Amino acid sequence: MINKIFSILYKDLKIEINQSHLFFSVGLYVISSIYIIYISYQPTGILGLEHWVSIFWVIILFSSITAVSKSFFQESGSRNYYYYFVLSPDELIFSKLIYNFLFIVFVTFLTFLVFSSLLGNFIYSYSFFITLLFIGSLSISNCLTLISAIGHQVKNNSILTAVLSFPVIIPILLILIKLSKISSSEFSWNIIQDDFYLLILLNIILIAMTKILFKFLWRN
Amino acid sequence: MKLVKTLSVLLLIYTAAAGILLEVPRLPILNETIRVLYFHVPMWFTMIFLLLLSSFNAYKFISTKNIKYDLISYNYAHVGVYFGVLGIVTGMIWANYTWGTFWTNDPKLNGSAVGLLIYFGYFVLRNSIEDESKKAKVSSVYSVFAFSMLIPLIFILPRLTDSLHPGNGGNPGFNVYDLNSQLRLVFYPAVIGFICLGLWIANIKFKLLKLTDKR
Repeated sequence: MINKIFSILYKDLKIEINQSHLFFSVGLYVISSIYIIYISYQPTGILGLEHWVSIFWVIILFSSITAVSKSFFQESGSRNYYYYFVLSPDELIFSKLIYNFLFIVFVTFLTFLVFSSLLGNFIYSYSFFITLLFIGSLSISNCLTLISAIGHQVKNNSILTAVLSFPVIIPILLILIKLSKISSSEFSWNIIQDDFYLLILLNIILIAMTKILFKFLWRN
Repeated sequence: MKLVKTLSVLLLIYTAAAGILLEVPRLPILNETIRVLYFHVPMWFTMIFLLLLSSFNAYKFISTKNIKYDLISYNYAHVGVYFGVLGIVTGMIWANYTWGTFWTNDPKLNGSAVGLLIYFGYFVLRNSIEDESKKAKVSSVYSVFAFSMLIPLIFILPRLTDSLHPGNGGNPGFNVYDLNSQLRLVFYPAVIGFICLGLWIANIKFKLLKLTDKR
């Protein structure tokens, strides 16, 4: 099973590197939206922590939705038909989860780099914030993968993926924003542990639901 | 079903009469508005109960592929969302008298509003698919997924932070207000009565849905 997951993942990454238009288009999306924010906050720049954190996560949210909603559409119909014979649904969905996670980690760190170089940086405890970025990418990818699989079933789907994913992703995003605000001051495990456990709990629910539900969804 | 209807009528008449007439604890700020407990909280209980039935039937559909369960699930979700809207409206009227405003930025309020948005998304999803069997499959999967996200939104998230809403931010439910169990006397019958009413409405709506449905 692990072998098959990684071979699918390897194939996806190889296609991504060969075509690479998705990679660059999402990168461009991130950079141009941050640049718009940068221009609109002239001449003072972002002054408050609240603005910094919320704009940061909103940009990550929108670019991840753009990135993840493509991950199922790039599969052609005949390739899907081939997958039915050689793969189990669990293998396919886990490879997609890992692939989306890698993609969103890329988006998140690109956003962090460009954002902090253009708009300044409010972060104090870096090690915690970088851990948070990893866990945030993991939660966002867990949340969006099943929704994009649902969107893939529906024609006329890019809007629908966004509409369906917003309400589901809000609890995760609220926790992430709250934790990011904390990371602008001295780190202390006592302040964050409740939210941190909750985030991990939500991830467990999301992965379990994705694993249970995808096998009903993928066959036509 | 007959039992449900009888229970619903009797208990709701009792709730309406006793909820207005019986003695309630006198508390500052709350005063007589404490009676909203008999009408506002049962709305949410009913909503959660109906949505639970909805997602249970959705799961039954995806494991058996019997299209009947999908209709039942859709029907329960529909009625459940009506009760959710009523819950929000009654809560807003109460908030206007106690907090002085219809809506505040409070975790419990945000959670319930987002929870309703999830289900509005479910209706959008259903309307956007033409093919009947695909509609049933996709919306059932989304329904189960949405319900599993609704539970942390409404029950877990608001309890972790400070909240104006009674029963949150470490407040142990409404036990604070009813030292002499005066409120329980009406509250529990009200919950059962409204749940029975929800089931009754869902039953009638399901008959209507079966008549208008062309399958």
